Amino acid sequence: MFEFITPLFLSLILGGTMVGIIFGAIPGMTATMAVAVSLPLTYSLGLENGLALLLGLYVGGISGGLVPAVLLGIPGTPSSITTTFDGYPMAQRGEGETALRIGIIASFAGGIISLVVLWLFAPTLADFAIKFSYVEKFLIILFALTVMAALSKDMLMGIFSGVLGIFISLIGTYDVSSGGNGELRLVPPGTEYWLESGFSLLPVLIGLFGLAAILEQAELGVPKGHSAKDIKVGAHASFSFSVFRGQVVNLLRSGGIGTFVGILPGVGGSAASIIAYTNAKTFSRRPERFGKGEPAGIIASEAGNNGLTGGALVPLLSLGIPGDSTTALLIGAFTLQGVQVGPLFIGNNPDTWNAMIIAMLVANVAMLVMMYVAIRWFALVVTIPKHILFPVILMMCVIGAYTINYGIMFDVWTLAIFGIFGWLAGKLRLEIAPFIIGFILGPSAEIYFVKSLESFGDLTIFFTKSWIAMLLWVLIIGSVVVSVLLARKARRDGQGGEEA
Amino acid sequence: MGDLTRVTIDFETSHLVFPILIAIILGLLGLAIAIRDRARIAAAVPYWRRTLAAMDKPRFLGTIALTLVYFSAMVPVGDIWPNTGLGFLLCSIPYILATGLLFMHERRPRQVLPLVVVALAGPVFVWWLFTYPLFLTLP
Amino acid sequence: MKLTRRTLLAAASAASLLALPLVAEAQNLPRNMRMVIGSKSTGGDTYQNSAIVADALSEKLGINIKVDAVGATEAFKALARDSRGTTIMIFHDQSYLANLYGVTGYDDPFENYTVGPTVAINPGNAYLVPADSPYQSMEDILAAAEAGTRVRVAIQPGGVSEIGFSALKNAAKLRAPGSEENIVPVNTGSQSDKNQAMWDDLADVINGSIQANEQFTQLPADDAKAMRFVWITARPETLEQAPEAGMGGTSRADMLAHASPQTSVTLDGEKDFTFDKEFFLLFNKEMDPEIAAAIDTALGEIFAEGQIQERQKAAFFIPNYLSAEEARAHLQEKRDAYEKVISEISGGS
Repeated sequence: MFEFITPLFLSLILGGTMVGIIFGAIPGMTATMAVAVSLPLTYSLGLENGLALLLGLYVGGISGGLVPAVLLGIPGTPSSITTTFDGYPMAQRGEGETALRIGIIASFAGGIISLVVLWLFAPTLADFAIKFSYVEKFLIILFALTVMAALSKDMLMGIFSGVLGIFISLIGTYDVSSGGNGELRLVPPGTEYWLESGFSLLPVLIGLFGLAAILEQAELGVPKGHSAKDIKVGAHASFSFSVFRGQVVNLLRSGGIGTFVGILPGVGGSAASIIAYTNAKTFSRRPERFGKGEPAGIIASEAGNNGLTGGALVPLLSLGIPGDSTTALLIGAFTLQGVQVGPLFIGNNPDTWNAMIIAMLVANVAMLVMMYVAIRWFALVVTIPKHILFPVILMMCVIGAYTINYGIMFDVWTLAIFGIFGWLAGKLRLEIAPFIIGFILGPSAEIYFVKSLESFGDLTIFFTKSWIAMLLWVLIIGSVVVSVLLARKARRDGQGGEEA
Repeated sequence: MGDLTRVTIDFETSHLVFPILIAIILGLLGLAIAIRDRARIAAAVPYWRRTLAAMDKPRFLGTIALTLVYFSAMVPVGDIWPNTGLGFLLCSIPYILATGLLFMHERRPRQVLPLVVVALAGPVFVWWLFTYPLFLTLP
Repeated sequence: MKLTRRTLLAAASAASLLALPLVAEAQNLPRNMRMVIGSKSTGGDTYQNSAIVADALSEKLGINIKVDAVGATEAFKALARDSRGTTIMIFHDQSYLANLYGVTGYDDPFENYTVGPTVAINPGNAYLVPADSPYQSMEDILAAAEAGTRVRVAIQPGGVSEIGFSALKNAAKLRAPGSEENIVPVNTGSQSDKNQAMWDDLADVINGSIQANEQFTQLPADDAKAMRFVWITARPETLEQAPEAGMGGTSRADMLAHASPQTSVTLDGEKDFTFDKEFFLLFNKEMDPEIAAAIDTALGEIFAEGQIQERQKAAFFIPNYLSAEEARAHLQEKRDAYEKVISEISGGS
C-alpha cells in the first residue's frame, strides 16, 4: 500500500521543502514561483514523486516567508504580511529569535491541522464550500477588510488608506477571467498601454515593504553599523513554550480559518492569514497589544497561512478546482501525467492520495526541523552591514518583480512607483498595513459585490441569503465593535499621555 | 420597501459600479480628514521644509536616482543580447557597487573590498540561478 | 531527467555565450528565443502545449526556448516590440475571437501579426446541464427557447467560452426567429465560477470542458454536484482521433454522441456549427521570413517523426500540425465563419 515511499520520494520532499523555504525567505520570490519553475521537472519524475517535490516546495515556500517578515519587516510572500505586524516589532525589541520560533511552531501546527482536515473531511468540506455563493464570499472578504480598522493607528487615516488601497487595486480592466466585462476604468488617458492589467500584487508589496523601507533608511543617512544591534538576534534568547500557554484556542482557530479559506475557491491565499489575524484580535483578551509585538498575532498569522496548504488541496482534489494560485499549478502536474482531478479523484487514485498526505506530513515535519535548526543562520542576515544588505535586497526585489509574471518590465516600474509611494505615505501619515490589505482584497470584494447584485438584483440578499451570511454579519459587526471600543480606549489612555 | 432595495446592474457598465462606490467612500473619508486635520494640512509647507532639511539628501536622492537609472538601463542593455538576461547582470553589478558605496560611511579598502566581492558574485550567481536551473526570463 | 540535460546545456552555453556570434550560422536563427503565451497560468492547457512544442523545437533547432506565461495582452505587446525573431508566441482561437467580440486590448491577429503553423487541438470545449435538468439534449434547449422559456447559459464572455453560446443563439434564430432572445448569458469567469453558477441555480446550462467536468458527469444522480454533457463542440473528425477509451468514465463513443452530427447545432440551416480550440504560433509581422520558415520546417519534421504526438495525446490533446500556409487559410476561414455567426446574432437584437 505504501510502496511509493522510496528514498527518492523522501529526498524529493526534503529537497523540495528546503528549496521552498529559501524561495519563501527571499523577498520577491514566492512558493508559487518555486512550484512553477519545478513543474516541468515532474514530467520525468512520475506522479507520486513529482507531487512529493511540489508539495515540499509548497509547504516550505509558505513557511519561509516568515523569516524576512520577522527579521527585516519585509514579508517574504504575500501571505506573511500579517506576520510583519507583530514579528518585526518583537525583533526590534530584541526578541527576534523568539518571534521566529513562535512563527515556526505555529506554522507547523497550522500545517498539521489543515492536513488532518484534508485527510478526514475533504469531500464533505468541498460539499459545504459550494454552499458559498457570491454573497457569502463577499461577506467573508468584507470581514477580512474590517481588519483595516483594527490595524489602524489612527482609525480615520487607516480606513482612508485601506479604501485607497481598494481604489488603486481597481485600476485597469475589470478582469474577464474572474467574471468582469473587460472594460478599462480608472486609467488616466495615455497610460492604457501600461495600466491595462493594473498593478500586480507582488511588485506593489515589495515596493511598499522593501524599497520604501530602504528609502526611509537612506533618508536617515543609513545609520552606521549593522542591524544586529537593533534586532539582537541570538542575544541569548531563552525560549520557552510558555508563550503558547493560553494560545491553543488561537492556534486551532487560526489553523482552522486558514484551512477553510483555502477550501473556498476564489477567496485567495493572502486572505487566509488576514482573516485569522482579524479573528485573533477580535477574540483576544488584550487586543490593544496587537501590532506592537504580540506573540498571538504571529501565531494567528502563521497558523493561518500554513493552514491554507491543506485547505487549498481540498477543492483541488474533490472538485478539480484550485484553492489558491499555487494549487492551480498542481493541476498542471496531474494533467501532464494524464491524471484527471475532480470529484472522483480520491476514490480512483487511492495511492496518489495517500502519497500526497504522506508527502504533506513529511514536508511539515521537515519544515519544522529545518527551520528550527536554521534559525541561527537566518539570524546571520541581520549581521550583514546595511550597505551590502540593502543593495542586494533591492536587486532581489527587482528580480522578484520581473519574474513574478514571467518577464514584464512594467512590474519593475510598479515596484519603483510603490516604493516611492510607500515613503511618501509615511510622511503623509497614510498607513501601509491597511493600504496593502485593501489592495489585496479589493478585486475580490468588487467581483463578489457586483456579481451578487447582478445575480440577485436586491440589496437585502446580503442579509437574507443564508444562515452562513447571517453568521458572517455577526463576525463583521463583532470585529467592528471591538475596533471601535479599542480606539476609544486608546484615546482615553492617550489623553493622559502624549499621543495615542 | 422592496423597491428601494432593488438594484439592476447592466453587465456592460458593471465595471463602473464598484469604482464609483469606492470613490464616493474615499471622497467622504478624505473630506472628514481634511476637516479634522485642517491644522496639520495648513502646516504642510513648514513640515516639508523641515523634512527636507533633516534629510540626508545625497543618500536619499542618490538612491532614487540610481534605482531609476538601473531600471531604465536594464532593458536597452539586455536588448543587445536578446533573452540572455545579460541586461540584468551587467546593470546589477554597477548598481550594487554604487548604492553600496553611497550607503557606506567610511570608504576604506577594508570595507570596500567585501562590497566589491558581493557586487560581482551576487548578480552573477543570481543570473546563473535564474537563467539555468530556474529557466526564467531576465531582462 | 530534464534537469541534467538543461544543466549540461547551461554549462556549455554559459561558457560560450559571450564568445559566440549571437545567431546560429546555419539558419540565421536566434540562439535564445522567448516563447510568450496568451495565458498567465503555467498549469493550463496553453502552457502545456507550448512547453511540449518548445521542448521539441529547441532540441530540433539546437537553440534555447523559454516559455513565458505572460498572458494575452502582455504577450501581444512583447511580440509587437520584437521584430528580430527572438520572441514568438503560442495562443489559440481566443486571439481572434476576442477581437471579433471587441474585447479591449485585442487587435486582429491576421492583420497585425503573422499567423504560423498550428500544433494541437484541445477538443474539450463542452456545455453541461445539471443531472436533474429537464433538458436532455440541445434539441430540448432550442425547443424550450422556442416555447418561450428562458434558458440561462453560464459563460466567460469575449472568446472561446462565448462562441458556442453565440452559435446556440444563432441556431435558435434560424429555427424560430425571436427565440434567440430567450437564450441569455450569465457572465461569469473561471470554470469554478461557472460550476458554482449551476449549483447556485443561477444558470441552466454551463460552458465547461471534458477535462474539467467529466468526473462530475460520473457522480450519482442524487449528488447535488452531478452534471450531464449536452454538447461537445469539437468536430467529429477531431474526436475520432481521441483515445478510444475517452477520458475517465466517458468513452469516445459517448463524446461523439454529444458532438456533431449526432448532436446538431446548426450554423446556417445546413451545416453544423463546430468549434475546436486550436493552438498555433504567431510571429511579429516584420520578422525575417527565414526564421518563420525554419520553425515551420522543423515542426513539420518533428511531427513526421511522431514522438510529439505521444506526448500530446498523453495530456488529452489532439495533434494537429498544419504548415503555416495551410494554417493561415484554415484559421482565416474559421474566423470568417464565426464572424458571420456573431454579426448575425448582434444584428438581430
